[in-house]
Amino acid sequence: MTVMGVSGTAQLMTQSLVDLRSQLDDLQRQLSTGQKSDTFAGLGVQRGLTVGLQSQLDAMSGFDNTITNVGTRLSVAQTALQQIDQSAHTIKQTAVNSSFAIGQNGQTTDQQAASGQLDQVLAALNTQVGDNYIFSGMSPDKPSVDSTDHILNGNGTQAGFKQVLSERQQADGVGALGRLQIPAAVGSTVTISEDALNSPFGLKLASVTSGLTGGGTVSGPTGPPLVPNAITVDLSGGNPANGDTVKLSFNLPDGTTQDLTLTATSSATPGANQFTIGATTAATAANLQGALSASVAKIADTSLHAASALAAANDFFNVDATHPPMRVNGPPATATSLIAGTSSNTVTWYTGEAGATPAINTATAVVDPSQTVAFGMRANQQALRNAVENIAVFATTSYSAADPNAGDQYAALTQRMGANLDNPPGTQKITDIEAQIASAQTSMAAAQNRHTQTSAILQNFLQSIEGVTNEQVGAQILTLQTQLQASLQTTALLSKLSIVNFIPA
Amino acid sequence: MSLTQALNAATAGLQVTQQGLSVIAGNVANAQTPGYVRKTIDQLETAAGTSIGVRSGAIGRQLDKLIQTQLRTQTSGASFADQLSSLYQQLQDVYGTPGSSTGLDTLFNGFTSALQGVAGDPSSFSAQSTAINAAQVLAQQINAMSGGIQSLRGSAEQGISADVQAANNALQQVSTINQQVQSVGSADASSAALMDQRDKYIDQLSKLMDVRVVQATNNQVYVYTSSGTQLVGAGQNPAQLTFNAQGAVGANSLWNSDPTKSGVGTITLTMPGGGTTDLIATGAIQSGEIAAYLQMRDSILPQAQTQLDEFAAKMSQSLSDVTTAGTPAVAGPLTGFAVDTAGLQSGNQISLTYTDNASVQHKVSIVRVDDPSVLPLPQSTTADPNDQVVGVDFSGGMASVVAQLNTALGGAGLQFSNPAGTTLQVLNTPAATATVNALSATKTMTSLTSGNSQLPLFVDGTNVYSGAINATGPQVSGFAERISVNSALIADPSKLVTYSTSPLTASGDPTRPSFLYDQMANGASTFSPATGIGASTSPFNGTLTSFLGQVMSQQGQAADNANNLKQGQDVVVNALQQRMDSVSGVSIDQEMTNLLTLQNTYSANARVFSTIQQMFQTLLQM
Repeated sequence: MTVMGVSGTAQLMTQSLVDLRSQLDDLQRQLSTGQKSDTFAGLGVQRGLTVGLQSQLDAMSGFDNTITNVGTRLSVAQTALQQIDQSAHTIKQTAVNSSFAIGQNGQTTDQQAASGQLDQVLAALNTQVGDNYIFSGMSPDKPSVDSTDHILNGNGTQAGFKQVLSERQQADGVGALGRLQIPAAVGSTVTISEDALNSPFGLKLASVTSGLTGGGTVSGPTGPPLVPNAITVDLSGGNPANGDTVKLSFNLPDGTTQDLTLTATSSATPGANQFTIGATTAATAANLQGALSASVAKIADTSLHAASALAAANDFFNVDATHPPMRVNGPPATATSLIAGTSSNTVTWYTGEAGATPAINTATAVVDPSQTVAFGMRANQQALRNAVENIAVFATTSYSAADPNAGDQYAALTQRMGANLDNPPGTQKITDIEAQIASAQTSMAAAQNRHTQTSAILQNFLQSIEGVTNEQVGAQILTLQTQLQASLQTTALLSKLSIVNFIPA
Repeated sequence: MSLTQALNAATAGLQVTQQGLSVIAGNVANAQTPGYVRKTIDQLETAAGTSIGVRSGAIGRQLDKLIQTQLRTQTSGASFADQLSSLYQQLQDVYGTPGSSTGLDTLFNGFTSALQGVAGDPSSFSAQSTAINAAQVLAQQINAMSGGIQSLRGSAEQGISADVQAANNALQQVSTINQQVQSVGSADASSAALMDQRDKYIDQLSKLMDVRVVQATNNQVYVYTSSGTQLVGAGQNPAQLTFNAQGAVGANSLWNSDPTKSGVGTITLTMPGGGTTDLIATGAIQSGEIAAYLQMRDSILPQAQTQLDEFAAKMSQSLSDVTTAGTPAVAGPLTGFAVDTAGLQSGNQISLTYTDNASVQHKVSIVRVDDPSVLPLPQSTTADPNDQVVGVDFSGGMASVVAQLNTALGGAGLQFSNPAGTTLQVLNTPAATATVNALSATKTMTSLTSGNSQLPLFVDGTNVYSGAINATGPQVSGFAERISVNSALIADPSKLVTYSTSPLTASGDPTRPSFLYDQMANGASTFSPATGIGASTSPFNGTLTSFLGQVMSQQGQAADNANNLKQGQDVVVNALQQRMDSVSGVSIDQEMTNLLTLQNTYSANARVFSTIQQMFQTLLQM
């Protein structure tokens, strides 16, 4: 390099020094920011990839956020489900072993405890995560269930469960003949019939089986579609022998079946479910009618009492978008049909969303580009509703110490509850829901693991395009520094090498 | 031969030495003057009879014309590359630092993540607000980037304006100096200085634009554009450049050879005789700073704008457009499809596929326009290279639509009809030369609660974006400047979830946010080849992110290339400049050495003088 006193050259010289200096500045920026370049231009040929990589990384972090949020929700959901399951289990255990000893308010101590359990279950169903009610299906902003007080006692003009229960009991003919008619025998014929055609209430005649040997016949149940079902026992063929039986089956409103077997006896003082063989078939028929009336009245005040309560629970609690709570249509004692309750006359206990979407699909989250987990729940799902129904019935019914049937009523209820809470085959169990939630949790954990690994790989790749290593930059800075020092020194040295400095003045 | 003669010779020697000294002094003084060319002075011997003397000759300029010409050409190239690289760098700044919080890709990812958040927790008001906010920030960033691009175009416009003035000045100076040096027969110090000046002005000019310089007799220099138009000629005023700079430059102000349609300025050359030429239309300026500005203003930046516009348009449409398949229609032996055109917005398309009697399948895109003046539409209206574009004016009602379609496509064995309402039906003809395979309509939703997941999340001012084609230009042009978030959605972010009011969408229904997220993350679109991404025969099809990646890649690559070109040109120019300097530059060492020689010569001449003086005295004392 020569130093010539020419402007252009001096400029070139300066320019190259300035270039070195700006390179040094850029390296310093790289060292402090860790970034290769502050524009896409400086990233090299893989610059386009950074956009895609960054977007993938952001997506991963988005998925992980979702997983974290949903994970919290699912953990809380599991806790709530376990609590509900535990309550149902406790009630079942106590109901099965419960002894009938009622207190002042007409309830056993187990029933009083059930009140507390009902509160707990309903509170668990109103569980919130953040602002979301997790048992409200697609409307997480709405509470899942109404308050215990409203549900049981009603809210203003809206009837609660207690009123629905009471009406249903009357409609079912509890304490009477279960809406059956057993008129006095006509000649040798005894008839038992339902009081209305296709009425949902009371005992329903299912079948009759004759064990009569003396020539008596049974027929029915027949009737519909023109007249209500009726069963006829015709003894005109001859008196039954001692020990002959007539067996009737009744369907109860909760879907259970009750058999009644009446046995002929020659004893003048027939026991329960026995009728005395009279001198004539007409006399026997009269005895049969009497025994039938007494036995049906007993069933209507015991099994039907419990079955009617459970049916009322089903009417009241089995609700969704297309199924409003069902009420007795008209004066209960003579009503022959159910009518859909309205929001002005009946409390709807489930206040969340109740659309056609399966409950599990009412809340979903994408946790991976190709994976969606579903974890929606509604408080009116079968397993949850079943627990609420049975606990509510248990907690609501009360008994009178004066009622001789009270003990049997209580036994009929606890026995049914035990069976219901045992989750009969083919019905949804709370553990089924827990399993669904757990499966979502497992999927999410696997997805999160995958994301952690993928993110690390992507991050490394991105770093290799965008980033710099301190060692590399450090080495470059050192080289440049040496170069710059050498240039500056040479320049200074050369500028002194002019003949001007050597001409004697 | 006499003492007097010797005395005269010594006097001449002293004079010549003094002139030599003044030339050296001038060289040394001007060592740092830009454009100064080292001067030398010739010495000539004189002889008259027996007398021999010396005199000064012409002052010469130490110049290598070949290098000078090369240097000027390369200077044009270098200043073109410099300017281009610098503008590209500014464009890169518009795109932001990779991974920075204000980068378009970062904000787009942010919007996508926010939608993901809503999909994960639809009823959360804060998630909804976050998503709307992210959409606004994204839209604002697109607006800002579009503004940045247009402001760069504005700067280019101003830059051209300033450069044209500088070029005019240089041309005027060259012309003036031409006249001044014309009369000088042989070069003296002042004419040499003028020629230095003239070279300097030509150098300035060649930085601005590429010119050809022709050296003529009588010290004249003629300047031409690279395409051969004379800028400075003999004995006349120079040609005059004018530039009608436009104050406001927007996405829709583009250069056009027709001055009435041009939204930006053009450079006009006015000859001394009065004739004018449009230098941009004739492509006369290919290099230099002005060419860099022109390339940026008219090609690179509009393409960057087109990319942003297309990105904004596809993003908007992927969230708002619903495609409905037609229903099969039969009339006796004729078969076809019917589709409802209600809700079809200007720019929306009806897609028709049919097979002709040669079993060749055809695709037709029927595009709704409301302004018949834009018809017929160019085939490039849709990105799809394989479709036939038929623009149909819907302003005249269904009967007119059917008539237009039958005119356009009746020859293909198709017949259109309007069986009822707004339904458009297409059947094959009784000759059954064609089979209608499919018919579908793509409509832009205008309502937030149409019952569809799609919604006009991004809008164009108060209108939805439907890709309308109007007399003022396609809606896509400059959409990036105008894209904004639907104000109704800002007022009610819950509409991100509520897609239907009857029946009312459940607040936790993830249908719409999931759709929106999926469209942003995975929805593929076909992008117009006008963006420079993809070719017209195979347009780029991909997600918004991959398009953005392509854009960043392409722009980054171009900026990097420009920078490499700049560095390459700088090296070439530097090398030439050094060679130029080694010939024309002032070397202090050389001048000092000459100075010592002259000093000695002067002493020797003076010695001769004093010797003659002594001899005269000796003679006179005799």
